[in-house]
Amino acid sequence: MRSAPLLITLALAAFGARADGQTVKFSVNGMVCAFCAQGIEKRLVRMPETGPLYINLARKVIAVEPKPGQRIDVDKVKAEITEAGYDVTQVETVAQSVADIRATMKRK
Amino acid sequence: MTRATGAATAACAVYAACAAGLLAWPLAATALPMGSLGTWMLMGDANAGSRDLSANYAITPRDALGGGLARWDDGGRLRETAGLNYTRLVRRWNLPHAQANLWFVGQAGAARLAGGEGAGAAAARAPFASLAVLADYETTRVYLGGGLRPLRGGDGLRWDTAWARAGFSFYEAEYDEVQPWFVLEAKRERGAFERKSLATPMLRLIHRRFFVELGGNRDGGVFNFMFNY
Repeated sequence: MRSAPLLITLALAAFGARADGQTVKFSVNGMVCAFCAQGIEKRLVRMPETGPLYINLARKVIAVEPKPGQRIDVDKVKAEITEAGYDVTQVETVAQSVADIRATMKRK
Repeated sequence: MTRATGAATAACAVYAACAAGLLAWPLAATALPMGSLGTWMLMGDANAGSRDLSANYAITPRDALGGGLARWDDGGRLRETAGLNYTRLVRRWNLPHAQANLWFVGQAGAARLAGGEGAGAAAARAPFASLAVLADYETTRVYLGGGLRPLRGGDGLRWDTAWARAGFSFYEAEYDEVQPWFVLEAKRERGAFERKSLATPMLRLIHRRFFVELGGNRDGGVFNFMFNY
């Protein structure tokens, strides 16, 4: 029972971090192969605010979740994807985590 | 012998073995010839008649510099080259469900010829250069590609290659899963002493930064690979 307050605090902290920094989904034209995606992933994981990341080649979607307490700089991510050689056609901020997006897209 | 000297000797032996392995490797032409900015691309092709190995580094989103070694057989005469490569992504089309590219690859360096046109059986050394144009079109399920690569050098060195490839993947794969493809390559090679056409069915496996092709034709087995880092 003594650990209950600690667990509640951690849960609130996690919830707060997610609400503070939302996941951003990028639709990317031309991202059709693993080598294409690997080049983009390599650039995005180097960004200090990047937390979990999910790439779906069939839907040409990259979902980036920020680390706790941070935000995704959309323009910065778009610039990285463009510099890797691809075109961002749509950006969407969503309340889902990357894990939820991965689970949803894998079910479809 | 001290422990340090022994370690140095062992390191030298490993280095020499790796260098010998590289020199013995035959070279080829696969899919995308360079990675994204700041990425190393290591490529190798091996079959009964030729081998090559090359590496390049993308210095801009559209340009890569590197080097390569190649060895092939032209009508029973061994040809070996070592050169510097320049790869240029001339144009990329990012389509909603596909990607298409036009590439230029130039190479220049030194060649070693066992039995040049004029020199008979004596091994000769000569400069060489090649200019290749490659094009590809790819979706997550379909691949089409092809290229032309004329190579010329001193002492009658000539080796022209033209190829076309078509393939399909067996199923849609997640980025972190292995994706298997069937690819058929038609290749025409023309040297100073030999001309031949080859049809090669291959199984291609792609997983994140690894790319491997295994196949066979009337000359024997084929193994191609790419590694993107």
